[in-house]
Amino acid sequence: MSGYTDLQLDALRELANIGSGTAGTALSGMIGRAIDVSVPQALALPLPDAVDAVGDPGQDVTGIVLPVIGDVEAIVLMLFDAADEACLCGLLGVEPAGELGRSAMSEIGNILSASYVRAFGAMTGLELEPEPPILLHDMRGAIVASALAPTSGGAGVALLLDSDLRIEGEHCNFTFLLLPTAAGVDELLLRLGVAG
Amino acid sequence: MIRMGELATSTDPGAVLAAIGLGSCVGLALIDRGAGVAGLAHIMLPADTGGSLQPGKFADTGVPALIERMAARGALRVRLEAVLVGGAQMLGAAGNRLDVGARNEAATRSALTRAGVRIVAAETGGTAGRTVRVHVGRGEVSVKEAGGAVTALWPASPAQMGAAA
Repeated sequence: MSGYTDLQLDALRELANIGSGTAGTALSGMIGRAIDVSVPQALALPLPDAVDAVGDPGQDVTGIVLPVIGDVEAIVLMLFDAADEACLCGLLGVEPAGELGRSAMSEIGNILSASYVRAFGAMTGLELEPEPPILLHDMRGAIVASALAPTSGGAGVALLLDSDLRIEGEHCNFTFLLLPTAAGVDELLLRLGVAG
Repeated sequence: MIRMGELATSTDPGAVLAAIGLGSCVGLALIDRGAGVAGLAHIMLPADTGGSLQPGKFADTGVPALIERMAARGALRVRLEAVLVGGAQMLGAAGNRLDVGARNEAATRSALTRAGVRIVAAETGGTAGRTVRVHVGRGEVSVKEAGGAVTALWPASPAQMGAAA
C-alpha cells in the first residue's frame, strides 16, 4: 500500500533524524537550553490518514510553513499548540501575542527549518533552498491539508517525516514535519542509494 | 466526518456530515430538501491527472461522483442546492504556486455549472481555515472559521428557508 520498502523508510527516517538533530542544536543555541529530539517517524500513509496522524484537525495551532525549492521540492512544517508557543516565546522573553511574538516565531521557524534543510542538503549532496517562512494561526487540519495538497499532488500516498523536539525542563514540545513531493522522495531515495 | 478526498451522503435526519479543518480544500455540500438527502465532498485538488481511485479528491471527478451518489439515494438534480465552503489561500499571497484554494473553488464551480446544479451559498477564499457541518434533517449548512464562532450559512434566513422549501 505504502509504495515504499522498509529499507527506504529507514533511510528516510535516518535523514530526518540528522535534520531534526541539527535543528534541535540550532534551537538549543538560541534559547540556551538542552533539546531532546525524538527518533523521527517515516510514515507513508493515504492522505486522509496522514492528516489524522498529525493530530486533532480541529484544534487551533500555530504553523510555520517553509517551502523548499531546488533539486527536491518539499514543505517543512512546524506545528505548535498555544501552550508550546507561549513557552517558546517565554524562553525568548517576548509575549506570544502581538507583533513581537509573531516575529519571534517566524525567526525560530527560519532558523530551525533552514538548519534542517541544510543538513538534508549536506547529507544528500542536493541543492536545496528554503523560501521565506509563512506563519499561520489556524486549524491543524487546514494547515496540514493545505501543505499536503500541493506536495502530494494527485498521489494517493503522502510521506510524512515526523520528529518531536522537546525543551529540557519545560513542558514544551513541537512537531517538525518534512513533506516532500513524490518526485522529491524519489530523488532523495536515489541519493541515499536505496532507489526503488 | 468526511476526511480529505472523501465524500458521503445521508438520508438520516439526525445525521451531521462534517469536514473539519478545510484550508485550501473545498467542502461541497449538496442538499435535496424534497428527498431528504444531503451529501458532502472534501475536495483537495482541481483536477485528476492520473486516474485516481478516489474521485472525491478532485473537483472534476468529485462533483459528478457526489451528484451520482445523491441520485442513487433518490435526489433529483434540478432540486439540488449546492453550498461551497473553503478554498482559502493558506500559504501566502495570491498567485503563490503552492496555493490551490482559488483553483479548487473555480474548478468546483465550473463542474457544478456543467452539471446544471445551482450554487445557493458560499463562504470561500480569504486566508483562514474553516469547518463545515451539514445537518441532514434540517438541510442546514453551518460554518466555523478558525478561532471564530459557528454561523449558519444556509439557509441564510427564515425568509429564504421558506422560499427554498
